[in-house]
Amino acid sequence: MKIHKYDTVIVGAGGAGMRAAIEATKRSRTAVLTKLYPTRSHTGAAQGGMAAALANVEEDNWEWHTFDTVKGGDYLVDQDAAEILAKEAIDAVLDLEKMGLPFNRTPDGTIDQRRFGGHTRSHGEAPVRRACYAADRTGHMILQTLYQNCVKEGVEFFNEFYVLDQLIVEEDGVRKSAGVVAYELATGEIHVFQAKSVVYASGGTGKFFKVTSNAHTLTGDGQAACYRRGLPLEDMEFFQFHPTGIWRMGILLTEGARGEGGILRNKDGERFMEKYAPVMKDLASRDVVSRSIYTEIREGRGCGPEGDHVFLDLTHLPPEQLDAKLPDITEFARTYLGIEPYTDPIPIQPTAHYAMGGIPTNVKGEVLADNTTVVPGLYAAGEVACVSVHGANRLGTNSLLDINVFGKRAGIAAAEYSATADYVELPENPAELVASQVERLRESTGPERVADIRKELQETMDANVMVFRTEQTIKSAVEKIAELRDRYLRVSIQDKGKRFNTDLLEAIELGNLLDLAEVMAVSALARKESRGGHYREDFPNRDDVNFMRHTMAYREVTGEGPSAKDSVRLDYKPVVTTRYQPMERKY
Amino acid sequence: MATPVMDKAQATATADYITATFRIRRFNPEESDAVIWEDFQITIDPKERVLDALHKIKWDTDGTLTFRRSCAHGICGSDAMRINGRNRLACKTLIKDINPDKPITVEPIKGLTVLKDLVVDMEPFFQAFRDVMPFLVTEGNEPTRERLQSAEDRERFDDTTKCILCAACTSSCPVFWNDGQYFGPAAIVNAHRFIFDSRDEAGEQRLEILNDKDGVWRCRTTFNCTDACPRGIEVTKAIQEVKRALITRRF
Amino acid sequence: MSTDTSGAIDGVTLYDVDNPAPVIEPPRKRTKKTPKGGGTNFEMIAWLFMRLSGIVLVVLVIGHLLIQLVLDGGVSKIGFAFVAGRWASPWWQTWDLVMLWLAMLHGANGLRTVINDYAERDNTRFWLKMLLYTATVFTILLGTLVIFTFDPNIS
Repeated sequence: MKIHKYDTVIVGAGGAGMRAAIEATKRSRTAVLTKLYPTRSHTGAAQGGMAAALANVEEDNWEWHTFDTVKGGDYLVDQDAAEILAKEAIDAVLDLEKMGLPFNRTPDGTIDQRRFGGHTRSHGEAPVRRACYAADRTGHMILQTLYQNCVKEGVEFFNEFYVLDQLIVEEDGVRKSAGVVAYELATGEIHVFQAKSVVYASGGTGKFFKVTSNAHTLTGDGQAACYRRGLPLEDMEFFQFHPTGIWRMGILLTEGARGEGGILRNKDGERFMEKYAPVMKDLASRDVVSRSIYTEIREGRGCGPEGDHVFLDLTHLPPEQLDAKLPDITEFARTYLGIEPYTDPIPIQPTAHYAMGGIPTNVKGEVLADNTTVVPGLYAAGEVACVSVHGANRLGTNSLLDINVFGKRAGIAAAEYSATADYVELPENPAELVASQVERLRESTGPERVADIRKELQETMDANVMVFRTEQTIKSAVEKIAELRDRYLRVSIQDKGKRFNTDLLEAIELGNLLDLAEVMAVSALARKESRGGHYREDFPNRDDVNFMRHTMAYREVTGEGPSAKDSVRLDYKPVVTTRYQPMERKY
Repeated sequence: MATPVMDKAQATATADYITATFRIRRFNPEESDAVIWEDFQITIDPKERVLDALHKIKWDTDGTLTFRRSCAHGICGSDAMRINGRNRLACKTLIKDINPDKPITVEPIKGLTVLKDLVVDMEPFFQAFRDVMPFLVTEGNEPTRERLQSAEDRERFDDTTKCILCAACTSSCPVFWNDGQYFGPAAIVNAHRFIFDSRDEAGEQRLEILNDKDGVWRCRTTFNCTDACPRGIEVTKAIQEVKRALITRRF
Repeated sequence: MSTDTSGAIDGVTLYDVDNPAPVIEPPRKRTKKTPKGGGTNFEMIAWLFMRLSGIVLVVLVIGHLLIQLVLDGGVSKIGFAFVAGRWASPWWQTWDLVMLWLAMLHGANGLRTVINDYAERDNTRFWLKMLLYTATVFTILLGTLVIFTFDPNIS
């Protein structure tokens, strides 16, 4: 075991982590721990754009953007946070441009903007061009630009260091962050990082679904580490299903495709979105479009012999436009489906895409231990966090915005806290939990296999807690997850080595997925209403009287320390409403 | 609506699985200093990716098989490997496209230290990247709004912005195989991206770095890098453009 | 270089989890000190020289071969008298001198890059290059000497 001491430790090197690192490195001695090499992070897979009311191509202002965000989130958004998001969006985009990001340009040389789902002019009148973009590789450019600037600033990275535990120590009755424990993939060694402040920016948890746009490595490691140590998770029942994933594979095809004029069609060739969203049509918010697609499929208007998908039609767009604006996704269609998007429509289905919920934070990025108490020295930003700017459904392009706005805020806040705070003393044996977990998995001879449990988990999640949910389906998922968690105790791995033991890594990741899947299902079961990404067929309407509140899920520890027998305890937190009173949501 | 697309879709739905042999170069220093080639026979849909096959082997047969991967659709650059003697991303190579009738060989990319199975030490590769000043350098006061750039100026370096740092190009270069001191195509591509960015003001410095004895002049124009690039970047052309810029000092 | 042979004898391996085998290193790895940056343009000039000398050599060598082997009865005409006649003219003296220098430098530089590319050990590389440079200098000097001191009346 090695012990390192840093002012600020950042967990994760995707968009939010690197944005935080750029700020934190300027102000404090900072280490970035990342499970992957920084440029492998899933920010790079984001395609369409980053919203900001620059008004470069048409009239726009951040107040409309705030409204769209609140409405898109089905009014579960904390409006103070949404206001910050929309207001600081402009500087966030300009910052990136100054760091060198190669945005597409207007004829005047300013940053070009395109339409995106749910972004409107004058509070919902018509679509507005708000998404700043670089072809369909905006996320790639952001990730590269941030990494380039990390190189420029001399950010210290610990690559392939997997954070497994968050150290929380009670000092004078206050729970504080003392540091993190990480597992070095290359050597199998355990490292303790003592830090005055820790920023989680470890990304999402989509891999508990089968059809997902998420990377294999998005297994909710940050959420699980905090949750295991008694911190709450907010709004975990809200998961976004992106309407246009490649059929069966789940690979993302950007909403920008519809922003450029792409149309969704059912087996009769009908533009079915006209029925569901007369104004915004194909550019309604993602939850609405995903539900509409599944409604078409369920009512027998799906395409293919099994009628299990619909088409994204780009054939009416000129090939030059596809080449210039959507080069990557057209290549995906060619590579993975053997389809030429110039002439043939692309089969798509909704794909699990983004966790709206996560580690609750305030607008400074400080992690909350309950509805109001801050955990000193602990921060979170990006998909791992829940500020909550996305509420019940995130608008397209707001995630790239989220990582930049709140990544920057968290980085600054964490470094400033490091400058004034003292180290919290490490617990007696800081690596105990991780060491025993690793040792147990390495030595286990149980009959269960990681791949089997993961497959069953993904299948049950896809079948039961996806776009449409009912009490019955969620309950069956909860039961299945309990069974899988029990079986997980008897899981064994084949690779007993220390170097690059990815077999062990996958087993640990599965443990995280199981914990988070349980939180998600239990939270979803309790929310007896439909709102944004959470749609209950048995409660199809929004219920502002009983459920206009955030879910806060805590781990109820039964024995000493975390164990697989722990259960979920739910609590609720009020939503911050400033300007916009809930209205019916129509597109 | 019986479109050709639907016929293809139908084919996928009722996929004819095939039996394919994957011949994988194994190395585990915790067991032996020897390199062995191990054959795995699996039944798989030929429309699946090589990465899917590796996963199938790892998950169903041999959990010790070690490789890096993340996004699984050619964006993150984790899984560059040598498949049938050519550098490719395992997640962008469909089994049907690489003749599954014969054993498919999979080995780590060349020119970098092999740590275990298909995992290599990427540090020297990233070191070369960091050595070319891969970031925008500007002088003077920052404008309050964005810097202006015409669409043509933006287009000038578009090709090299696509790089995902997967190392497929660098590790396909015969010069790099024998001499890792060479900057390699990827580092030059990333220097190119800034040298030809109209907003940047450190082009001269970067050119001087690449004028080094291990810089662009070691390129032998074999075009291996262009063939290997999974993003379709014209790597060799970019290197030639840097050479030209060094001679004419115009960029 | 990797070895594709078995290191384990009779299934007994010397290595385990806590005592791993050495990893497979490539030749000449990049290190933090690698970009040495001499600040000279030598490599660029060498690269340019190869292209320009190549073009000139195409003319010189093809011309040379034509004269020697094809025109005026071909190779059979070549004798002491033919050489003596040609080297009496400064034009042909210059032609042959330029051809000698360019070909030797072009070839030597080409071989230098081959040695740089493929000789992995510093020592090997150094001595191979020394050998190359000595041979080159020797040949160029000797050839130059002959061209300028050629005496048609030698007995």
